[in-house]
Amino acid sequence: MLLQTTDIINSMATLAQNDHAGNVVEHATQAVDHAAAGNMKLALLIPALPILGTILMLLCAIFRIKSKLPAFITVACLGGAFVVTVVTWLGMGEHGAQLVFGFDWINFSWADASSEQSFVANFGLYIDRLTLLWMLFVTGLGTLIALYASEYMADDVGTGYCRFFAAFNLFVFAMTCLVMADNLILLYLGWEGVGLCSYLLIGYFYKKPSAVAAAKKAFIVNRIGDLGLALGIMLIFVQFGTVEYAELFPKVEPLVEAFRAGHMDQIPFTVQLIPVLLMIGAFGKSAQLPLYVWLPDAMEGPTPVSALIHAATMVTAGVFLIARMFPVFLVSEWALPVVAWVGTLTALFSATIGMAQFDIKRIMAYSTVSQLGYMFAGLGVMTSTGAAFHVFTHAFFKATLFLCCGAVMHGFAGQLDLRKISGLWNMRGWRIVTIAMLVGSLNLAGFPFTAGFFSKDMIIAESFVTPGYSAIGWILLITAGMTAYYTFRVFFRVFVGPVHFEPGEEYEGDAEGHGDEGDGHGFHPHAPGWAVNTVLGVLAISSLLAVGTYFINTDQHGWVGSMVHDSSAYMSPLYESHGVVEHDASGHVEASSDVRAGGTFFGLNPHGGVLYYVSAAFGLIGIVIAWWLHYAGRTEAATSRADNLALTKGMLARGARGKWFIDEIYDAVIRKPLWVFANVLYWLDQLLIDGLVNLFGWVPRAMGSLIRPTQNGQLHGYAAGMAGGLVVLMVVVWLMSL
Amino acid sequence: MILLGLILVPIVFALCVWALPESRAKVVAVIGSLVPLAMGVIAVVQFNWDMPEQFWLGKTITWLEPMGLELSVGVDSVSLFLILLTLLLGPICVLCSFTAIEHRLKTYYGWLLVLQGAMVGVFAARDLVFFYTCFEFTLVPMYVLINIYGSTNRKKAATKFFLYTFTGSVIALAGLVYVVWFSAKETGLWSLDIGVLATTARGMPLGQQTLVMTALLLGFAVKVPLFPFHTWLPLAHTEAPTAGSVILAGVLLKLGTYGIYRFVLGFTPLAVVEHAGVIAVLAIVGILYAGLICWVQTDVKKLVAYSSVSHLGFCVLGLVALNAAGINGAVLYMINHGLSTGALFLLIGMVYERYHTRSMKELGGLASKMPIWATFMVFFVMASVGLPGLNGFVSEFLTILGTFQASNAWSGLPGSTPGVLGPWFAAFAGVGMIIAAMYLLIMVGKVVFGPLVEPANHDDAHSKLPVDLNAREIGILLPLAGACLWLGVYPAPVLRTLEAPVQVTVDRFQMILAQKQADEGESVRVSVVPASAPEEEGETP
Repeated sequence: MLLQTTDIINSMATLAQNDHAGNVVEHATQAVDHAAAGNMKLALLIPALPILGTILMLLCAIFRIKSKLPAFITVACLGGAFVVTVVTWLGMGEHGAQLVFGFDWINFSWADASSEQSFVANFGLYIDRLTLLWMLFVTGLGTLIALYASEYMADDVGTGYCRFFAAFNLFVFAMTCLVMADNLILLYLGWEGVGLCSYLLIGYFYKKPSAVAAAKKAFIVNRIGDLGLALGIMLIFVQFGTVEYAELFPKVEPLVEAFRAGHMDQIPFTVQLIPVLLMIGAFGKSAQLPLYVWLPDAMEGPTPVSALIHAATMVTAGVFLIARMFPVFLVSEWALPVVAWVGTLTALFSATIGMAQFDIKRIMAYSTVSQLGYMFAGLGVMTSTGAAFHVFTHAFFKATLFLCCGAVMHGFAGQLDLRKISGLWNMRGWRIVTIAMLVGSLNLAGFPFTAGFFSKDMIIAESFVTPGYSAIGWILLITAGMTAYYTFRVFFRVFVGPVHFEPGEEYEGDAEGHGDEGDGHGFHPHAPGWAVNTVLGVLAISSLLAVGTYFINTDQHGWVGSMVHDSSAYMSPLYESHGVVEHDASGHVEASSDVRAGGTFFGLNPHGGVLYYVSAAFGLIGIVIAWWLHYAGRTEAATSRADNLALTKGMLARGARGKWFIDEIYDAVIRKPLWVFANVLYWLDQLLIDGLVNLFGWVPRAMGSLIRPTQNGQLHGYAAGMAGGLVVLMVVVWLMSL
Repeated sequence: MILLGLILVPIVFALCVWALPESRAKVVAVIGSLVPLAMGVIAVVQFNWDMPEQFWLGKTITWLEPMGLELSVGVDSVSLFLILLTLLLGPICVLCSFTAIEHRLKTYYGWLLVLQGAMVGVFAARDLVFFYTCFEFTLVPMYVLINIYGSTNRKKAATKFFLYTFTGSVIALAGLVYVVWFSAKETGLWSLDIGVLATTARGMPLGQQTLVMTALLLGFAVKVPLFPFHTWLPLAHTEAPTAGSVILAGVLLKLGTYGIYRFVLGFTPLAVVEHAGVIAVLAIVGILYAGLICWVQTDVKKLVAYSSVSHLGFCVLGLVALNAAGINGAVLYMINHGLSTGALFLLIGMVYERYHTRSMKELGGLASKMPIWATFMVFFVMASVGLPGLNGFVSEFLTILGTFQASNAWSGLPGSTPGVLGPWFAAFAGVGMIIAAMYLLIMVGKVVFGPLVEPANHDDAHSKLPVDLNAREIGILLPLAGACLWLGVYPAPVLRTLEAPVQVTVDRFQMILAQKQADEGESVRVSVVPASAPEEEGETP
C-alpha cells in the first residue's frame, strides 16, 4: 500500500515511455520530436496569446484608442489561452510530462579538462498535470477578471486603459512562463516578470504617492526573495549540472532513495541547502513571514489586480515553486519543517491583524497572507495535494471576495471602511454582490460542505497525522476560527444590517464642491453593471462547484489530487523506512482503513472523519461570534457590540490594529541605519577617496609652483609627474626582473 | 580594409565638418556617423562567423620593420560586438545633440566623429602602438566635449577626467612597455603584435607577471572604473553633455574592461589566478558601495553615474571568475550596459533640455506630462535593474553564476569550475541586485511617478521642444530599446558566437587553476604527513 507507483521520480523516468511518444526524456532535442508527435506544440499558444495581447495593447496605446476595445481584445486573448489550456489538458490523456521546445534562450557550453559542459536554459515548456492545474485557473480567472475589469476600469478609457490591460496581459504571460517553464531560469523570468507586472499595476494610480510607495516596496521586498531563489538555482546548477527539470529530477532520485533508506550521510550538505534558498524566494513571492509586508500595501492597486495577482495567482507562485521542486525539499532534514512552521505562524499572525482592521480590502489582503500560510503548512506536512487543493479553491473564493469588495469600492467612491457602509442587501442592485460575497465568505470561513472547508481540512488533518506537527494542527484550527470571525465580521457589517453609507475619498461632491461628505448627503452609490454581475455570478457558482472536484477521483483525494499525483509534487510515504512514520500524503480514504503509528487526534485517526466535525465546529464558532458581535442588534453602521468589549481597547487590539508595527520596526532597524550608512559612504567618497586623489594631484602642482612660480600650468606639472613616475616604475620593474 | 575604413571614415567626415560652414555641421555629422554604421553591417557580413575566435578583416601596414612597428587591425567576435555597439551609439550621439548644443557646432560634431574613429581603433587594434595611441587619443575629444559643452562645473570635471585617466594609462603603459621589452629579450625580435606579445608574456614568471598585472590593472581600473579609482566618473558624467555621457558610459568605460579582458587576462594569467580574489573583492565592494551611494543621490545624472560604477563591478567580477559563464557574461555585460545606461543618460538629457535641472527635488511625476518619455524610462530602468527578458539580466545572471561556480570547494560537482571565488562572493554581489532595484525604483518613484513637480520658473511655452518626446528623440531611443529586448529575449546567437573566443581564454585559466588545485592538494598532503609523524613517535614509547 505504501509503495504505490506514485513515486514521482520513478514516474519521471518512465513518463515518456508509455504510448506513442517513445523514449525516456533525456535531451530536450528528443523531447521536441516527442512533443511534436504528441501535437503538444499547440501549448506554445498559451504563452503566445497573452504576449500578443500585450503587443496589441501597445498598438492601441499608440493609436490612442478611446473605447473599450483593449478590454475585449484582452478577454479574447486570455480566453483563447484558456481554451488552448483546456484542449491541452484533454489531449494529455494518460501521458506524463511533455516537453515542448520554443527557442534557444541562454545557452552556451564550454569544454572542461575532462568533459564538455553546458548551461542550457531554453524557452521550452514542461507540461504535466501540476502545470495544467495552475494554468487552468490562471487563464480561466484571468479571462473572467479581465471581463470584470472592462467595466471596473471604464473611467480610465482613453487614459490608462491600454496601460492597465497591457500590464494585465503581460502578467498572464509571465505567469505562464513561471508555471510552464521547463527550466528554472525561465521560471525565474516568469518569477520576476510577474513581479514587474505587480509593480506596474500596484502603481497604476501613479499620481498617488501611497500607490507609488507600495509598488516600490513590493518590488524591492520581492527582490530580496528573488536573490534567494537565484542563489538556489545557481546551487542547483553547481550541484547537478543542469537547471532543466527533465534532467534534474532523475538526478535527485538517488538522493531521495538514500534519504528514504536513512543514509543521511550520502546527501551532501549543499543539497540540503538548496531548499532553504529556494524557500526564501517562495516566502517573498507568497508573502510569508518575514517578507509578507508588501502584500497588504499592494491593495493600492486597482481591485481586479488585487483579485487576480495578489490573491488568486501570483502569490501562489511560491507554493508552485515548492510543489514543483518537491523532491529537492524532501532530501533535506529541515526544509519542510521550516516551511511548515513559517506557514503556520504566518497564518496565525496575519489572522490576528486581519481581525482588527477596518479596511475591508486590507482584511482580505491579510486573509490572503493567512491562507497562503495554510498552503505552506500543507506543503510542510507533506500534503502537496492538500496545498494544491487549497490553492485551487482559494483562487476562486478569494477572487470572488476581492471582486465583491471592488464592486463596493467602485460603487461607493472608494469607500472601504466597514464602519461606514452597511446593509447592501437592502439596497437596489446589490443582491448579486451580496450573494457572491456570502458564497466567498462561507468558503473562506470553512463552512461545512464548501470547497474551502474540504481543502483546509485536508491540511489540518494531515498535520495531525504527521508526528511532531500536532501543534501546527492546533494552531491551524484556532486560526480557522479566527478566519471565520474576521470574514463574517465584514459580511455582517457591510452586506447586511441597517442601510447606511458614506462615500469614500474619491467622491468630490456636487458641482460646487460642497458635497457633504460627512453623511453622504447627495451621494448616490452606483450599483454594478452587467459585466461585474456576470463575473461575480460565474465566480460564485464556480467556488460552489469547486467542492465537486473533491468527489471526483476520490481514490486520489479529488480531481486536484489526480492532477498533482502525476507530477513532481506528489510523494509517496518517504519517511516510513526512515523510522519515523508511514503515512500517505493526505490519504483520507486509504488511511481510514487503519490507524497507523503516526499522529492521532485524541486517539482517533485524523483521516477518519473526526476532523471534519472539529474544524466545522471551529468555523461555526467564529461565525457565531461575528454574528453576535457585529450583527445581532446592530442598529447603525459605525458601532457594534464589539466596541464595548474590553478586549478591543487593550494593548493587544492596538497592536493588531497597528499591524504589530512590523513596518515601523523594519524601517527603524533596517532602512534607517542603512540610509545613514549610505550617507556616510557618500561623504567618505567625496572627502576621503576623492580627497586622496586630489592630494596626489596637489603634490605635483605644489612642486611645479615651487620650481616654476611664474607658471600655474597644472597640465605641465602633472605631465612632469607622470613622466617621472613612468621612469621610476620602469626602473623598479627592471630591477625586479634582474 | 573595412576596419581601417571604420576608423578613417568618421575622421574624414570630421575634417569635412571643420572645412564646411557651420550650418552644414549637423548634416555632415549625421552622414558621417551613419556611413560607418552601414559599413559595420558589411563588416558583420564579411566576418567569418564559423571561427569567431580568430581575428578577421585584418590589415597590416608595416611601418618600421626592425623595431617591429606596424599598424595592424583585426577583430574577433568580442571586438566586433563592441565595435558594433560603438557604431550604433555614433548616430544616436549626433542626433541627441541637435537641440542641446547651440554654439560652436563645428568643433562639437568634428570631435564627436573623431572620438568615434578612435574608439573603433581601440577595439580593432592588433598592435600595441596603435592600441595605445587610440586608447589615449580618446581622451582628447572627450576633454574637449566636457570642457566646452559641459555644464557649470565643466572645467574642473574635464581636467580631472583627463589627468586621472591619463595617469592611469601611463602606468599601464609602463607595464606594456615592459612586456614588449621582455618579449624582445626572449625572442630576439622586436614585435608589437598583441598576439605575439601575449604568447611570450605568459612565459613570464609569477613575480614579473604580478608587477605587470598591477601596472596594467591600475591603468584599466581607473578607466572602468573599479573601486576605489572611480571618483573622476561621477563628476565627469554629471558635467558632460548628454552625448558625452552616453559615449562615456557606453563605450569609454568599456575600454577599461576590454583592456582587462584582452591584456590583463591575456598577458598575465598566472598573476590573475593568484590575485583574482583581491580583484573580486574590489569589484564587490564597488558594487555595494556605489549602489548605496546611488541611493542617497538627489541628482539623477549622478545617480546613474554611480550606478555605472556599481554595474561595472559585475563586469569585472565576471572577468575574474575565469570561467565560461563569468567571462561570457562579462563580455555581454559590456554591450548591455552600454545600451541600457546609454539610454538612461539620453532620457535624462531629454528632461534636462526641457527643465534645465537634474535634481530629484525639483522634478516629479513626469509620467502625467510625458507618458512616452516615462514609458521609455521605466523600460530602460528595468533593463538596468536586470529584469529577465531584457538584456541586463542575461549578463548579470551569468556573471554571478560564474562567480558562484568558481570555487575549489565545489571540486567534483558537475556544474563547478576551479577558482577562488564561490558562493559568498556571489551572494554579496547578488545583494547588489537588490540595491540596484532600490535606488533605481526610488528614482523612478520620484521622477516618473507621484504628483507632478516642476521647477518653479518652468514654462512649457519657452521650450523649443514639445512637452513630450518628439519624433527624433523617439527615433534614437527605439533602436536601443529594440536591442535591449532582443538581447534579453534571444541572446542565443550572440552567446553562441562569443563562446569560442571566450573558450580560448577560459581554457588557459582552467588549466592553470586545475594545476594549482592539484599542487595545493599535494602540498596539503605533504604537510599532513610530517605533522602526524611526531605523534606516532610519541605513542611508540
